[in-house]
Amino acid sequence: MRKYENLVIVKPTLTAEEIQASINAIEEVITSNGGEIAARDTMGMRKLAYPIEKNERGYYHVVYYSVAPAAIAEIERRFRINEDLLRFVTIKYDTNREVAAWNGLVEKANKAPEAPKAEEAPAEEAEATTEAAAE
Amino acid sequence: MSEKRKYKKRYCKYCEAKVDFMDYKDVANIRFSLSERYKIMPRRLTGNCKRHQDMISTVIKRARAAALVPYTVTRKQVVTAPFENLK
Ligand SMILES: [Zn+2]
Repeated sequence: MRKYENLVIVKPTLTAEEIQASINAIEEVITSNGGEIAARDTMGMRKLAYPIEKNERGYYHVVYYSVAPAAIAEIERRFRINEDLLRFVTIKYDTNREVAAWNGLVEKANKAPEAPKAEEAPAEEAEATTEAAAE
Repeated sequence: MSEKRKYKKRYCKYCEAKVDFMDYKDVANIRFSLSERYKIMPRRLTGNCKRHQDMISTVIKRARAAALVPYTVTRKQVVTAPFENLK
């Protein structure tokens, strides 16, 4: 078992329920391949740094899990087929230092399940000012 | 000139903070090593040590792939929003 992290960006055009269903399907892909989800971090709807498939925003979701290294190819293959995803980033935590960091991140994500909501509002304000400045 | 002076005192900011691992999702932390065009700043200007520069470059590349930080910025964007969306 090795520690991994997956960041997925779900299409913003879906409704809230569809996004939730899509995230459940993503986690189902991980668990069905023998992965154990340690923590999840919902970053919520964010503005993308650059448009992906003509979308300006995306719904960010991060999953921390441990799985056998051989299963990653299958997990990534399934993600690539999934049309709800704009992008996914898989990070491997291999060395002792990285594993320690992974434990820290999992602890942080589990400790503050309410935090993303609080962070979301000021982030959107900042975006609004940027857009206003651009005009 | 002003940019050069900003980095005149050369020491590794990350060594001083005893950074062992950088998270690519923490955009506020990696902003220091990005130019206003979102290029990775060279070590000779930021004063980062080799170890931390290597860490920063992987982290920035991951953040770019995750659309947290842009790859390039056009001239129009660079004037209006230098670091606004990262704050
Ligand atoms: Zn250093």
